Amino acid sequence: MIIGLDGVPHSLLRAYIENGLMPNLKHILSQGFVLHRMDASVPDVSSVSWTSFNTGVNPGEHGIYGFTDLKPKTYSLYFPNSTDIQAPTIWETLGKTGQKSSTLFQKYHQKVKRPCRSIILNVPHTYPALPMNGILVSGFVAIDLKKATFPESVYPYLQSIDYLIDVEAEKAKQNKGAFMESLFECFEIRKKAISHFLTEESWDLFFACITETDRLHHFFFDASTDKDNPYHESFIRFYTELDKFIKILYDGFCEISHEKGFFMILSDHGFAPIKQEVYINPFLKEKGFLALKEEGEFYEKIGEETRAFNLDPCRVYIHDKDAYPRGKVSMEEKPEVLRKVREALTTLTGENGEKVIDRIYPKEEIYQGPQTRGAPDLVCLPNDGYDLKGSLEKKKVFGRSQFAGMHTWHDAFCVLSPSIPLAEKPSIENMAEHIIKYFTQ
Amino acid sequence: MDHLTKLENKSIYIIREAYNRFKNIAMLWSVGKDSTTLLWLCRKAFFGHIPFPIIHIDTSYKFPEMYRFRDDRVKEWNLNLLIGRNEEKLDQGMGPGQGSKLDCCNELKTNALKRVIQKYRLTAILLGIRRDEHGIRAKERYFSPRDSQFKWDYENQPAELWDQYQSMVEEEEHFRIHPILHFTELDVWSYVKREGLPIVPLYFSKNGKRFRSIGCAPCCSPIDSNAQTIDDIVEEIRTTKTSERSGRAQDKENIYTMQKLRALGYM
Repeated sequence: MIIGLDGVPHSLLRAYIENGLMPNLKHILSQGFVLHRMDASVPDVSSVSWTSFNTGVNPGEHGIYGFTDLKPKTYSLYFPNSTDIQAPTIWETLGKTGQKSSTLFQKYHQKVKRPCRSIILNVPHTYPALPMNGILVSGFVAIDLKKATFPESVYPYLQSIDYLIDVEAEKAKQNKGAFMESLFECFEIRKKAISHFLTEESWDLFFACITETDRLHHFFFDASTDKDNPYHESFIRFYTELDKFIKILYDGFCEISHEKGFFMILSDHGFAPIKQEVYINPFLKEKGFLALKEEGEFYEKIGEETRAFNLDPCRVYIHDKDAYPRGKVSMEEKPEVLRKVREALTTLTGENGEKVIDRIYPKEEIYQGPQTRGAPDLVCLPNDGYDLKGSLEKKKVFGRSQFAGMHTWHDAFCVLSPSIPLAEKPSIENMAEHIIKYFTQ
Repeated sequence: MDHLTKLENKSIYIIREAYNRFKNIAMLWSVGKDSTTLLWLCRKAFFGHIPFPIIHIDTSYKFPEMYRFRDDRVKEWNLNLLIGRNEEKLDQGMGPGQGSKLDCCNELKTNALKRVIQKYRLTAILLGIRRDEHGIRAKERYFSPRDSQFKWDYENQPAELWDQYQSMVEEEEHFRIHPILHFTELDVWSYVKREGLPIVPLYFSKNGKRFRSIGCAPCCSPIDSNAQTIDDIVEEIRTTKTSERSGRAQDKENIYTMQKLRALGYM
């Protein structure tokens, strides 16, 4: 059994366990589980991180680099979905249903003795629901519930409980109080659906994600430790509710597996309070790397003078001649442009002279595999507090908005049995292997 | 009875049925091929004189050829034309260059139509949508209720069996009626040919390109085509593998995805 808690930071979870706010999780840990700090994927957005977890391979193999991507020929923006994932997921490998391959798949697929049945609920970036061995209800960014459900026979049940794919995050802009309420309502429905499948269906692999935590953090992370914050009490209440639900799932797991199975809880990234939002495209413009035309939408505006542009959160692409119709940067010039962009990004400083960018990775350093052709040339990770954004519309480099929290790469977590050998600081990419190994023992 | 006559009969039956049930009814005309076909069917249903107004939602960004075509037909067919424009937003400079395309469509199309519906207290509108046009329309009914927020609850609509249409309207609701829902793109072109219908010249090839679907000029792009006559178009559609609206910037699912990503600050 795998429980995903979207966007729950290791540091916060540890603090809440120590403060006695999560007694059930504390009890589980006392049963012989270890809470580890874990690295998310790069970049640390849910679509990439969960896909890295689900497939157990690097974005260079699975091909997902963000919620948005560009078609180089037309500069048009598109939204990668489950059909764009180039590597098989754990449930495809274990269910023996996938037609894709990956390094992990090749290592283990022959050892999977019998096809395993999986129940996969609310995992981000699994929309549309693709045929598999078991049941799948897609998570964010699912649009149409019918297309988010496999097999179709599950749909009437979801409809009967007024299942919600996600909260309306739009609401948070107008009325934060009402949004907080809807988070709890959505969590109730999520719990109901997860409990239903847990008890009514048979399974080998059960994997359910709670995504309300991520939404809570986006809008209320400042309330996580500040006792004077008007939403502090609700924030804590959410975590105590979450703690109770973890117990229900863990008890269900123990009953079915007689405590011999594989149990894991993890998040896909951490969270930190926002000091400032940093808009990378206006910065590139300021430094003369980006020139936008009047006509066109989003990245269609990229003009001939553009040498580099950014996609959310901080994926920098060089506008090279071979890939883009209006690109002017030649193969020979590219290393020099890259060096200059890097140099400019390292000078970016925030409020009190603090450095905004913590690390800059060239793609060769972090991505390996057949899908690296579509990878960003540089990916930046910020220091905590500086939320890097891809917006093209902003005029200034720094700003604030309704958001209270930002993703962090270094502070995800996992809870695992100590018998599972992990690196000192494990990465979310390496988790799937342990799960598949369990099934092939 | 041949295929096109069957389609025509069904449409005319629905148009007459709708007119009989609703006092305040109007037809929405985008000037494109589908709603022009519907307009033609309305004329046929009432022997040349349409007894209700025709609404054109004018975003001010339509192709000049479309305005010309509209005005010519109004004169020729003696139509009672109502023009719906969101003047307030247009004065503020709303357009596809300002803000997102989503906002632009929402203000200049949806909100403009809402105003017209309120102003004339319309309880029903005839529209020229077709079932094969877009995935989201596959669940449409001939009589499709909308609430005051324009929301369409597609999971809660009455069955339509043996031509028994559910056409009762609640307060605060209006009905959308789709008399050509059963036409395909190919049917429309075959019908245009059979009836000798005039059509906006943008649909025909000029310098190797033609429009397969038309709307606002900044948001439509032409396809590669040498089809210069309706026969050429029919032949082209018979063999094509790309979708009709591929030249259109808007796609419902993408719009929702964009909305959701924006709400969480991912764009």
